[in-house]
Amino acid sequence: MRELTKNFGPVTALDRLSFVVQPGRVTGFLGPNGAGKTTTMRVVLGLEGPTAGSALVGGRRYQELVWPLHEVGSLLDANAVHPGRAARDHLLSVAQANGITKRRVEEVMELTGLSTVANRRLRTYSLGMKQRLGIATALLGDPAVLVLDEPVNGLDPEGVVWARELFKALAAQGRTVLVSSHLMGEMALCADHLVIVGRGRLLADMPIESFVQANARSDVVVRAPRAAELAELLRGRGASVEREADGALAVTGMGSPEVGELAAEHGIALHELFARHASLEQAYLDITADSVEYRAGGAGQSGRAA
Amino acid sequence: MAVTQAPPARSLAPRPVPSFGRRTRGLLFSEWTKFRSVRSSFWALALTAVTALGGSGVIAVSSALANKGSGLPLDPMASIFFAWLEYPVLAVGVLGVLAFGSECNTGQIRTTFSAVPQRATVLAAKASVLGAVVLVLGEALAFGSFFLSQAVLAAHHSELSLARPGEVRAVLAGGFSLFVVAMVGLGLGAIIRHTAGAVAALPAVLYLPLLVLSLPSPWADRIGSYTILMSAYQLVSLHRQPGLLAPALSLVVLVAWPAVLLVTGAIATKRRDA
Repeated sequence: MRELTKNFGPVTALDRLSFVVQPGRVTGFLGPNGAGKTTTMRVVLGLEGPTAGSALVGGRRYQELVWPLHEVGSLLDANAVHPGRAARDHLLSVAQANGITKRRVEEVMELTGLSTVANRRLRTYSLGMKQRLGIATALLGDPAVLVLDEPVNGLDPEGVVWARELFKALAAQGRTVLVSSHLMGEMALCADHLVIVGRGRLLADMPIESFVQANARSDVVVRAPRAAELAELLRGRGASVEREADGALAVTGMGSPEVGELAAEHGIALHELFARHASLEQAYLDITADSVEYRAGGAGQSGRAA
Repeated sequence: MAVTQAPPARSLAPRPVPSFGRRTRGLLFSEWTKFRSVRSSFWALALTAVTALGGSGVIAVSSALANKGSGLPLDPMASIFFAWLEYPVLAVGVLGVLAFGSECNTGQIRTTFSAVPQRATVLAAKASVLGAVVLVLGEALAFGSFFLSQAVLAAHHSELSLARPGEVRAVLAGGFSLFVVAMVGLGLGAIIRHTAGAVAALPAVLYLPLLVLSLPSPWADRIGSYTILMSAYQLVSLHRQPGLLAPALSLVVLVAWPAVLLVTGAIATKRRDA
């Protein structure tokens, strides 16, 4: 992805977005609604042309690929199927267009658990079943690259776990797996690498460990009647202390055992003492806070500058 | 969760390109699978058959009764296929529209283009599969209608025989006109990319141009003979009427309509976002 820009009239959906997705790991593609995740994937798959820049798969444009399903498997929209067609016929028609055998169609249906409902027409499918069908479609050509847009949406909890394990296994086989989501929690469980976008711009592109280290603040919260005195003592030991709105102290640079010991030494009673880990979700929200496109108007929420 | 040791990357080196023959065969099979696996295909084909046979049967009976004692109608062939230009063309045109329009409506087209990014090729494959089906069915119905009418007319002592010059041509042309209208529908579907819109456009393209037939003579015929339905009419008529086009030129006109629409559809499909 190089300097990818996509304009829809006056709206800039992608703004010089550049990143590279590496093989052998699951790359989580994150961003709030309207950040440009789907648009990016549509440009990668040649469904839309970029206004400027280019999106290459293995050095080539998708449109140049012959029988692309052998190289890139994708799931953009699980509902992008004809509702009157049975699942097996749907998969067969896609397979035939890329010279893929009937046997492979049966294999992917087996793999995604659709064999027993293969002859049912797709209008009877739930969203979760359609997601499975979409994943089956993506796997038809045994591709080295997988591009999946919100694939776990609509899956039941069991299905989510299944999909997560599947993506990890596919990456472990050396495939390039790009999975989009707007849920940090989901990505934290299956991604090795994160690419975060907001309003068409790249906000982060780093291994998930780095993201955790860089963003997951952790501190110690302590509540004591003699808070001011304790704060002085803590500062004296090199910790930094902030007073929170409800009177509690937020201590960084010192673990909770040390804080407790220090208080005991000076006979300060503690009402509460615990280590607090900001979640990845919070870190993600912090990063994307300025780039949320659609925000529910709420009390105290000032409008985003246009 | 962390991958401690990166697994060997899957190769993304360009694969050997499958031969043109294999690609074409695959794509045609794919389109055939799509065609046969939705019920609307069968309904549209059934409606085409019923209206074609029924329409020509009714016309044969009524013309036989009307001409009792006064000899044959002026052009028995044209009267057999007269009903064709009203009803089966609509059914078969809708079939053409659905072949592309329903993919756009349902989003299936994105799945299709992900599998085959060469979009004009997809349209060509659709045209081939749909065209083959409609051509076979259309010719079968044309001969069916002919023999049906012949049977009706024979009972009323009127004659009609394939042995007469030009009759085989006229019957073949009847089947061919259904093929043409199916391709017109497909082209409209590809241009408009919306089933309802394209279905509405179909009668507009077929029937609205016929309004020129109410222009003062000779302009009515001069312009009117270039419409789809008049070209088809000229091709199924045994006797060339003054002011209308000769069969050969009618055939050219009849082929030009779907050709222009399909090429426009192919260009539009390539250019636009899916």
